[in-house]
Amino acid sequence: MKILKKLFLLVAVLSFAATAPAQAKDSLVLDGSTTVGPIAKSFAAYFTKNYGVQVTVSESGSGNGAKSLINGACDIANMSRGMKDAEVAAAKSKGVDPVAHVVALDGIAVVVHPSNFVSALTTEQIRDIYRGKVTNWNQVGGPSAKIVVIQRESNSGTQDLFRSLVVGKKNPITKRAETQASNGAVKSRVATTPAAIGFIGLGFVDDSVKSLSVDGVKPSVETVKDGSYPVARPLFMVTDGQPTGNVKKFIELNRTEDGKQMISELGYVNKY
Amino acid sequence: MNLGTRKILDRSFTAVGVTSIVLMALALLVVLVPIISGGLKALFFQGTIEHRQLVYNEFGRGDREELERQKEQSQEARRPVFAMLDAFDAELEGMEPAERREYRSQYNHVRDVLHDMLGPLPGDIEPLLLRFQYGNTRWEQAEESLHDLLYVTKWDYSNPNVMAEKYFTPRVDEFQGTALAPLFAYVETHLEEMLLPQPEFYWGFITDRSLDAHIFGGIWAEIQGTFYLAMGAMLFAFPLGVIAAIYFTEYAKDNFLTSMLRSANSTLAGVPSIVFGLFGLAFFINTVKVSESKSVLAGSLTLAIMVLPTIIRAAEEAILAVPKTYREASLGLGATKWRTIVTVILPAALPGIITGAIISLGRAAGETAPIIFTAAVSVGATIGLADVFTEPTPALSWNIYNLASEHEAANEIRHVQYGMVLSLISIVLLLNMSAILLRARISKKLKG
Repeated sequence: MKILKKLFLLVAVLSFAATAPAQAKDSLVLDGSTTVGPIAKSFAAYFTKNYGVQVTVSESGSGNGAKSLINGACDIANMSRGMKDAEVAAAKSKGVDPVAHVVALDGIAVVVHPSNFVSALTTEQIRDIYRGKVTNWNQVGGPSAKIVVIQRESNSGTQDLFRSLVVGKKNPITKRAETQASNGAVKSRVATTPAAIGFIGLGFVDDSVKSLSVDGVKPSVETVKDGSYPVARPLFMVTDGQPTGNVKKFIELNRTEDGKQMISELGYVNKY
Repeated sequence: MNLGTRKILDRSFTAVGVTSIVLMALALLVVLVPIISGGLKALFFQGTIEHRQLVYNEFGRGDREELERQKEQSQEARRPVFAMLDAFDAELEGMEPAERREYRSQYNHVRDVLHDMLGPLPGDIEPLLLRFQYGNTRWEQAEESLHDLLYVTKWDYSNPNVMAEKYFTPRVDEFQGTALAPLFAYVETHLEEMLLPQPEFYWGFITDRSLDAHIFGGIWAEIQGTFYLAMGAMLFAFPLGVIAAIYFTEYAKDNFLTSMLRSANSTLAGVPSIVFGLFGLAFFINTVKVSESKSVLAGSLTLAIMVLPTIIRAAEEAILAVPKTYREASLGLGATKWRTIVTVILPAALPGIITGAIISLGRAAGETAPIIFTAAVSVGATIGLADVFTEPTPALSWNIYNLASEHEAANEIRHVQYGMVLSLISIVLLLNMSAILLRARISKKLKG
């Protein structure tokens, strides 16, 4: 009996402690794209340090970010694509007015294993690879090896943009393509698979993979900024209505000198 | 069956049994050894002066005078490097534009690697991100940087029909005859003086907050989050589960509805955890609105629903296992049914009930899928007990996944990931141990 009493006492104490009034405090909740993730996390650390506001960041993909904003579960949705019509409609029906702000620009780098001889492809060649018309590297001037095609999940904004910019919205991607859930996962899959091809945000490219020239243009901060690299897109932070207060301050970080510096240190391209 | 055959059968069964146990033990070793050795690397490693500086600047720990002395010492060793860079900068200025361009990209790479190794070089813009403000904090990373500095990685594309082979050429060859040439040999021989590695025990890994998205610092927020979520889940699931089990065993009539409820409960135990996660999002957050967005409360409730079937089943079995004579004796003494349950049956069944709770507790602490949508975030501060109703939290299970797959610097911070895995296993082990101790005490009391 004594132990039962003790257990009840513990429960009572815990529930009392839990019901202690929560202090009102400022906090910001961000959810969405894994591509925007590094910027959001760095901004969050900076914001907490300089304004004393707690910021939490989740990286669950652009689609989930949008859902989260529509359901009022986050203050800012990070998205690596624009809102789709269906999402805007869903938002309106819930009384949410999505306003997109460009936080930075990003190129989608098409990457292969560094041991691959191929260092440049045209948009047509990449489209053919992803549509399954080209299945061996020797068809595009590379070694004789079966191409391992890697794509992102349907929730991904990078996938959306890649489809509309390269593959064509209506064209299905080959069924043999393998799906990875994040930029990091695609990168590590390509880095460990000699015959693989994948696509990741420019900020994620490092020595473990080789980024290809597309239509003769190498992806870099310069070529994305001047518009010559064909597979580039803006990255968004989406808010409910015009932002005010802390949300506004956070959204506008990318216009400050410090914000610009953080964006370029992370390997993304500044809009402002 | 004659005796000989029986003997052979018996022996072979023993052999199969022993083999399977040995295989299990080996499998466990294969899993545990890398986890433990990798995880300990987060705590014990050769730390450089950069690490000590980081810990002093960010957490205020360390001996200031000693640090100043070491800084002076390492600066002394670094000065020739900086002088060589300056000399080469001057040399670049005097070159023809074409020649300069040729050197430029190679030279930029050298500067980048030196930046990784030693922190910002003179003339660099002061970086804002913490990861670029310090050099290599760990000696093994510094050794990797050194290799990168000394050698150019090249790929042999001579045979276009096969995948290329990797090979290295000394980087110094690219700078032969310039002011930068002696730098490589100097760095190679003086790296230790520049970084002053010494064995560190970084206990702050457990108690510090994470810095710059887990690139530096510790995992306290994750540990605390895991603890809150697991305990919160038990807070809801344990009483509910025991009450449901009492209903099933003592009050429910043996009819169709009860058997439906029972099989529903068993089915629930087999539902994939991601389904609970989505249910938690749809029900607790979007419909009931227990919180505005993700919160520890919503996550705990989701986990509680997930472990509830296990607890109910275990409690039911435990109650059914209480000898009938106990009940009869109590009722025979004139106790009411309720009193019999509370004073006789529950205490006798408690060890069995707690066993179920132990299994569930470990599961609640380790599950990732149910908290993805309901409670977990990649980065966030430690939260107080009062914030569990409104605030989400980082948690070990989710952050291990995040670091393994989504983190932009996943390869550089494997030690943090392993450290998290080790901590999660240790926490589950600790929680289980304390529950087992509690159960042993109860059993002893019941017997005495």
